[in-house]
Amino acid sequence: MSYVYTVARLRGMENHILDSAFFSRLMDSAGIDDAVKALGETSYSQWISGNNFDKAIDSEILATCEELERFVPDKGLVAIFRLPYDFHNVKVLLKGLFKVRGGEAEGRRYDLLSKLGTIDTDELTNAIETEEYGFLPYGLTDLIPQCWQLWDASKNAQAVELLIDHQMFRAMLDVAGSLNMPEVLRWVRCKIDAENLRSAVRLGRMNYDPAKALPFFHEGGNLRPDDVAKLLAEPQETWSRILSYTDIGGVLGALGDSGDMKAALSDVSKALDDYLVKVLEGAKYSMDAPENVLLFLLTKEAEARNMRVALVCVAGGLDREFGRRLLTSGRQ
Amino acid sequence: MELLGLSLALFGAALAAALAGIGSAIGIGVAGGAAAGVMTEDPNKFGSCLILQALPGTQGIYGLLIAFFVLNKIGLLGGAGAVALNWNQGLQIFASCLPIALVGWYSAIWQGRTSAASIQMIAKKPEAMGKAIILPAMVETYAVLALLTSILMLMGVQVG
Repeated sequence: MSYVYTVARLRGMENHILDSAFFSRLMDSAGIDDAVKALGETSYSQWISGNNFDKAIDSEILATCEELERFVPDKGLVAIFRLPYDFHNVKVLLKGLFKVRGGEAEGRRYDLLSKLGTIDTDELTNAIETEEYGFLPYGLTDLIPQCWQLWDASKNAQAVELLIDHQMFRAMLDVAGSLNMPEVLRWVRCKIDAENLRSAVRLGRMNYDPAKALPFFHEGGNLRPDDVAKLLAEPQETWSRILSYTDIGGVLGALGDSGDMKAALSDVSKALDDYLVKVLEGAKYSMDAPENVLLFLLTKEAEARNMRVALVCVAGGLDREFGRRLLTSGRQ
Repeated sequence: MELLGLSLALFGAALAAALAGIGSAIGIGVAGGAAAGVMTEDPNKFGSCLILQALPGTQGIYGLLIAFFVLNKIGLLGGAGAVALNWNQGLQIFASCLPIALVGWYSAIWQGRTSAASIQMIAKKPEAMGKAIILPAMVETYAVLALLTSILMLMGVQVG
């Protein structure tokens, strides 16, 4: 099937994406019952049973991915979106096994596994627990034994997580490269930059030693990890100016504007998410650009994120204004 | 040489019908792909999609019209028998067919792409149907100009 068909179908599907007015109404709900009633008009209603909203939101995203896989000519476009969930599952399983080996009988947390990955969670669990990694894609065959070696040598779960993240971005670059779509490859590079800057902001707030920060940053982005690590030696208010020669530099403006650390962190995180959507937004004006698939999935993911924020605020009786601030742009 | 003139005229008529027809087929195919995508999500848009999908079909009709015009001019329609054409007259008729053959072929493909974009537009904004038709219709202008050119040139060719 051609991308003309694919993009046209996505345009039709975009009509079902919830807009900011809906989330504003959801935020105004008096309680969780009202919020569930509001969700009754949406595609999420088919997945809601009881108060397990996380599961309902994941089910909606999974159904969207599976629907797209049926008609998108290059399955790799959906795989790029789903691949981080595979690596999330690997982290969950390995951390569980680390705890079990450390003597915690209840270390396994299967409830944290996400169905959104491309590898069936049962198969992945079985592969990792039986140490039969041969069939696993995305370099996991070599990665998992390396994780075990690192764990045995250091007992450092954070270092293992970073090793997994490095491989995740390498795998994303490989999949994007194999698609032969320059804009998708550019998006993956921007995503690596965004993730590196997100880490840098967090490390900066912790006053982390710049000399030891390099392992936290991933290769493959437009910014060299060395250059991102050097930012830590400078005041955060100046980062936007230092990176003014890049597209992503402006996103860090929020660091200089706000004196409130918590708000600044959430603003930067939100701005980075919005930036990653903006990178692909040129595709909106093309009737057959494959990047529209990724753009749609990101918009759907933003919708799911907004849904999570709104429901947590309503269910937990949290500050609605702060919640509104966390909502990403999503569908206009 | 008489046969060469007739052959050139027929070749021109064939090109006008074939190239414009091929362009229309491709254009309608592209717009049809978009229409199918939109209607998968909303079958109620069939009417609007059909109108937009049909727009690139006109070039094929223009090509056919010119082919008939040529056949009539050289006497192959009506059963009276072919008129005598020298190679120079045949070449003139062949040249007259080129505007609609080439412009029809190319404009139909691009009109199909514009129609597909318009179909995607009405998927999100059904109220913009009027604007959605105008955009591909702008491409039609040049097919109409090419048709007029071919007709005027053919009328100027003296045969018989």
